Amino acid sequence: MSAAPATLYETMAACLARDFADGEVGFTGLLTGQAAAIYGTSIPIVAMELARRQHAPNLTLLLAGCYHNPDFSALETMPDSEHDATLRDLPAEAQTYDYPGQWALKRGDISFGFSSAVQVDRQGNINSVCIGPHDRPKVRLVGPILQPEHMTLFRREYIMMPHHERRNFVEKVDYVSGVGYPGGLEGRKELGLDWGGPAWVITPKCIFDFDRERGFMKVRSIHPGVTAEDLQGATGFDLGDLSGVPTTEALSAEELRIIREEIDPRQMLLKH
Amino acid sequence: MAAPKSKLMSLTEAVDMVPDGTRLALGGFAVYQKPMAFVRELIRQGRRDLTVVGSANSYDIDMLAAAGCLATVETSYVGLEKYGLARHFRRAVEAGELKVVDYPEMVSWDRFRASQEGLKFWPIPFLGGNDVVTYNDAIKEFPCPITGRRMFAVPAADPQVVVIHAVAADDRGNVVLPARRLLPQSGDVLMARSCDTVIVTAEKIVPHSFIKRHARLVEIPSYRTKAVVEVPFGAHPTPVLGRYLADEDHLAEYVAASDSADSFKGYMDRFVTGPADHFDYLDRIGAKRLAAIQDMDSLL
Repeated sequence: MSAAPATLYETMAACLARDFADGEVGFTGLLTGQAAAIYGTSIPIVAMELARRQHAPNLTLLLAGCYHNPDFSALETMPDSEHDATLRDLPAEAQTYDYPGQWALKRGDISFGFSSAVQVDRQGNINSVCIGPHDRPKVRLVGPILQPEHMTLFRREYIMMPHHERRNFVEKVDYVSGVGYPGGLEGRKELGLDWGGPAWVITPKCIFDFDRERGFMKVRSIHPGVTAEDLQGATGFDLGDLSGVPTTEALSAEELRIIREEIDPRQMLLKH
Repeated sequence: MAAPKSKLMSLTEAVDMVPDGTRLALGGFAVYQKPMAFVRELIRQGRRDLTVVGSANSYDIDMLAAAGCLATVETSYVGLEKYGLARHFRRAVEAGELKVVDYPEMVSWDRFRASQEGLKFWPIPFLGGNDVVTYNDAIKEFPCPITGRRMFAVPAADPQVVVIHAVAADDRGNVVLPARRLLPQSGDVLMARSCDTVIVTAEKIVPHSFIKRHARLVEIPSYRTKAVVEVPFGAHPTPVLGRYLADEDHLAEYVAASDSADSFKGYMDRFVTGPADHFDYLDRIGAKRLAAIQDMDSLL
């Protein structure tokens, strides 16, 4: 095994893995582009595979929302197309080819998912629709995609943010395409949302979680080498007193061994 | 016995069925199996004020936006996946020339399900707090008549014309889909059942006997189809499952040409407005490229 020290991405994957419970169903997209693919696809896959090899052998991984527990060892490289023959022909436990398919989305079959956004705000709302006014935006983005469903029908959501700058972490998003905790848990209840909402926000600088009762994001841990001043300076809203916030927990030697020897021996997902 | 009617026609004739102002659904999903030959013909004929309703869109919308064919887009996504934002779409929206009505992805499919079921709306419970509702007067809040809980009536997709691109059909309009299909192909089936004017462009027009040997795979029977057009490589540069891959070189060229409306003019002249017809387009792509993107489907 490589003696290289654990990377930040491996550390994030281990943190996530510890948060998954046995029997859960995790939904990951197939993102492309260097940083987006690492945060949106590679880290979630490594995290779920790690959990499956440790405390959660009954966890189901949904790759691209369709391919149930696919056999990654049968891949030569990570594909960059969700709906082509490479993934269709990859051995898996079940394959979704229609909507509605195997998972009963609106009954809450999906335990957790991963999304990224151009903006996220203190309440955990996310935006991938537009910057500026909706009818005459400064920047028109791709649209809501599956974010509304991720943030309400999934039991919880991990927001994966490859960039942590003031323009991404804003006081209020320009468009709510995925609902966080406006008014806290009571607020979500009044909006008719039965469950779900963001659990964590993972960035190159820190991991956030939420005071769900009161409805705002708080820093759960700061990554090694990042100062509280760095973090506050890169965030467009007040993070409060960061003096008691721990450093992001390191991986154990065993977690690192499983990732490098069993899950990703060819460094197809995470390079180190 | 009288002979069954042939619905075979030219691409030009099929596009005649889509007048200015049509509410149109284009099959495929995101960057997969888009009826691109039909889109290019819409541009050649100078269609205006189209509304495109979809689930997830890409080069179809972007090219129509570049040519000024669109008034409104109703969908969950317009982007080029690995190539990022759809530049022409983006510019048209930012200039206030193109209206976007945003819908969540699964709700977009539900809107076609509503049309398939002959309903004018689909009930959705999970839109509270989402700006999808804020900017859309057509979504109406109502109490669930059984429980009283807060619900949203989302309008049916209600397309006037649906265009899909399939691997094969016969001249009567029986459309066969591969057994091992994926979401984009299943989405085409849903769309084709949501509307009474269905146009199918097909890689190959097959004999009726071929259809009869694959009866279980005829998800769209002849009575659902108004027109069939034989258009080999009709989804190019997007892929057709099991037939050909995305033409990555061409897509990269498309994106490189998309920096501005001016820089895109050369692309449009060469590949859209310049070619006399689809076969002229294929000549310009070239046999070498077309051969290179052919897919070797599973032999099992």
